[in-house]
Amino acid sequence: MSTLKGVIEIRNLSKSFVVDNDELKILNNINVTFSSGEFISIIGSSGCGKTTLLRIMLGLESDYEGQALVDGEPIEGPGLNRGIVFQDHRLLPWLTVKENIAFGLDKLGRKEKELVVAEHLKLVGLNGFERAYPSQLSGGMAQRVAIARALANRPEILLLDEPLGALDALTRMHMQKELERIWQLEKITMIMVTHDVDEAIYLSDKVVIMSSRPGVIKKIIDIPFARPRDRASSEFIHIKAQILKEFHLGTEYPFAYAI
Amino acid sequence: MSKNITDRYQWKDRLLGLLVPVLLLIAWQGLVNLKLYSDLILVPPTKVLSTLVYLAGTGELTTHILVSLRRVLTGFLFGASSGFVLGLFMGLSESTNRTLGPFIKALKQVPEFAWMPMIILVFGMDELAKNVFIAIGAFYPMVYNTYQGVSSVPNKYQELARVFDFKNIRFLSKVILPSALPSILTGLRLSLGLSWMFVVGAELFGTDSGIGYMMYSGREMFQIDVVIAGLVVIGAIGFIMNALLKMIENKVLVWNVSVEGGKG
Amino acid sequence: MYLLKEERVKSMNIRNQIKLRIGSLALPLVLFIVWQFIASQGYILAMILPSPATVFNTLITNITQHDLLLHVAASLKRVIVGFLVGTVSGFALGLFMGLSRTAEKIFAPTFHVIRQVPVIGWIPLIVMWFAIAEVPQIIIISLAAFYPMTLNTFAGVRNVRKEYLELASVNGYKGIKLIRKIIVPSALPSIITGATLSLGMSWGIMMAAEFFIDTSYGIGTRIQAGRSSFNMALVLVGIFTIGLIGYVLTVIIETLGRVVNQGRDVNKEI
Repeated sequence: MSTLKGVIEIRNLSKSFVVDNDELKILNNINVTFSSGEFISIIGSSGCGKTTLLRIMLGLESDYEGQALVDGEPIEGPGLNRGIVFQDHRLLPWLTVKENIAFGLDKLGRKEKELVVAEHLKLVGLNGFERAYPSQLSGGMAQRVAIARALANRPEILLLDEPLGALDALTRMHMQKELERIWQLEKITMIMVTHDVDEAIYLSDKVVIMSSRPGVIKKIIDIPFARPRDRASSEFIHIKAQILKEFHLGTEYPFAYAI
Repeated sequence: MSKNITDRYQWKDRLLGLLVPVLLLIAWQGLVNLKLYSDLILVPPTKVLSTLVYLAGTGELTTHILVSLRRVLTGFLFGASSGFVLGLFMGLSESTNRTLGPFIKALKQVPEFAWMPMIILVFGMDELAKNVFIAIGAFYPMVYNTYQGVSSVPNKYQELARVFDFKNIRFLSKVILPSALPSILTGLRLSLGLSWMFVVGAELFGTDSGIGYMMYSGREMFQIDVVIAGLVVIGAIGFIMNALLKMIENKVLVWNVSVEGGKG
Repeated sequence: MYLLKEERVKSMNIRNQIKLRIGSLALPLVLFIVWQFIASQGYILAMILPSPATVFNTLITNITQHDLLLHVAASLKRVIVGFLVGTVSGFALGLFMGLSRTAEKIFAPTFHVIRQVPVIGWIPLIVMWFAIAEVPQIIIISLAAFYPMTLNTFAGVRNVRKEYLELASVNGYKGIKLIRKIIVPSALPSIITGATLSLGMSWGIMMAAEFFIDTSYGIGTRIQAGRSSFNMALVLVGIFTIGLIGYVLTVIIETLGRVVNQGRDVNKEI
C-alpha cells in the first residue's frame, strides 16, 4: 500500500441500477489504480459509466460490489480530501465569486479565509472579479471559479466531470492550457471524465478508455511525451489514431476531432 | 442623441399611461355636470380631493391610517412568521408534510372570511379578533411559498453541500434558505397584500377606528366623498406596500438575474 | 435525508403510500377526538364549543328545515355568474394587452394601480351605486375574478415562444387565425392557472360579499345568522359546507385544466 497521498484504487468494482424492475449493469469488474500526482482522463461514449465511476470515487454513489479506496481507506461518502468540478459549474447563484470560493472554508478564520480565497483567485486568473455574481460571468470564467472552489480546500485529488464540456471550442482549448498550468502548480492527482479525445491526450499522463453496456475498461494508454503538447505533432496524431481505433473509428475517420 | 430618443419614448409611454385616468376623470366630471344623479350618489372629483385634504388636515385620516397599519403589522407578523416556520418544517421533513399538508390544504378551502363570525364568537369584537383574522389571511401564502421554496432546492446544490460536508444549520443557512429565498419573498409580498385586504374587511365588520371603519361610516351616513377618499387611500397604501417589498426583493435578489445564473 | 419531492414520491411503494394516506388522516382524527372529549367534559361553554353530535344535528335540521341547499345554490349562482363575468372580461383585457404593446402602455399602469385597492374596499361604494338585487355581490365577485385572469392571460400571451410566431408568420397566419391557432393554445396553461386562481378568489370574496351586503339567501348569510344568534354549531355547519364546496370546485377546475392541458407541454424544449 502506498504512503503517498492522492492514490485511488478501484478493485473488482461492479455496479447495477434497477430500471423498471430490470437490473442494468452499469459498471462491470473495474480494476484501475490512479497514482499520486497523475493526470488521468477517462474517456468513453455516453452511457459507459464513466460519470458513475467518478461519482463513486467522489462518494456520492454507494451500493456497489468490489472496493474503492482512497489512500488505502474505503470510500464512505464525500470527503474534503477529494474536490470536484461538475460540468455545470454549480456555483451558488446567491453567492459572489469570493463567497463561492470560500464555500467550503467555514472552518478557517476570517483572515486565513481571505488569504486562501485571494490565492485561488490568482491561481485561476480572476483577480478583480471577487464581488461579481455567477450570473455575470461567462461560462469559462464560471468554470474557473468552480475550479478555485474545489482547490481551495486543498484536496489531494481533484475530480473533474466533463469540466469543459459546456464551453465553446476556443474557450475550451484555452481552459485546457489553464488546467495544465494549475495541475503543474498544485501537483495533485487529477482525474477527469471527458468525451473529447484531443483534450484527454493533451492533458493526461494516462488515458482510460471505457466501452459501454456494461461499462468496462477497454484499455489504458500511457502518454509519455513532454508538455506542453503540440496537437499537430506526429506523436499526438499517432496516439489519437490509436485511441480512435478502440472506438472503431480509426479506419473510417482518421481525422475526426472528437467523439 | 440616442439617449434623447429613449427619453422621448419613455415620456410618450408615460403619457399613454395617463390617458385612461384622465379620460375617466373627464367622464366622471361630465357625468356630474349632467346632474342626472343626486350628490348622495355622485360627487365631483374636486369634492373628493377637498374631503381628503380636510380629513388630512384634522388629523382624522392619519389616526385611521395608523390604527389600520398597526393592525396589519401585528396580524401579518403573527401569520407570516407562523406560516414561515410551518412551511420550513414541512419542506424539510416529509413526515411533517404528510401529517400537516392535507390538513392545511383542507382548511385553505374555507375562505378566510368564513372564519370571521367564529372568531368574533370566540374572541369578541376587539383587537385580538382582528389580529387573528388578519393572521389567518397572512398565513396561507407564506406556508405555501416557503414550503415550495424549501422543498424544491435543486438536487445539484444538495450534492454540492454533501461534497463540502455541510450539515444541519450550515446546510440550512447557506444552501436551503438562500435557494428558497425568492419563493419566500414572494410569499411575504402576497401575505402582506392579503393582510391589507383583510384589515379593511375586519374594519368593515364593526369597530370604531381604522380606514375601513372610515369608509363604513361614510357609507352609513351617505358621505360618498368619504367613501371614495377611503378607496384612494387604501389603494395608495396597498400600492406603496407592494412597491416597497418589490424594491426589497430586487435588492436582496441581485444575484437572481436568471433562475440558472451563469451563461455557461 | 433531504430528498427532492419527486424522488420521494417515486421511491414510494404501495405500503408507504397507504401509510401516507393514514398519516394525513391522523391529525384530523386526533383533533376530532380532542374536540369530542373537551365538549363532553363541558370545560368550555357549548356556545363556544358545541359537541360534534350537536353540529351534525344542526347540519341535518338545516338541510331538512332551513333550506341549507337553497342557500348553497344561491351562493353558487352568485359565484358562477361573477366568475364568468370576471374571467371573460379579464381574458379579453389580458389578451388585448398581451397582443398590443400600445394597449399595454395605455391600460397596464391604471390596471396595476387599481389592482392594489383591496377588493373588499370597493364594497361600500358599489353598494351605494348599485343597490339592486344581486348586482353589487356579482360586481364584487367578478372584480375578484378579473385580476388574476387578466394577469395570467397577459403573461401567457406575452410569453408565447418566438419560434412559434416565426413559424406562423412564415406560413401566413394572421389576425384571428394567428390568435386561435397559435397564441391562445400556447398561452393556455397560463390562462388555466388564471382561471383556477380566479375561482379561488371569487369563492373567497363571495363570503365577504354576503357578509357585508344584505342578502337573504347564501351560505354567508347562514353563518352570519349563526353568529347573531350565538349558535356556534350553525357557524361550524356553514364553515364545513363552504369548505366542502370550495374543495369540490377546486377539484373540478383542476381536473378540467388537466383534461384541456393533456399531452401538451408548451414550455418543453423541443
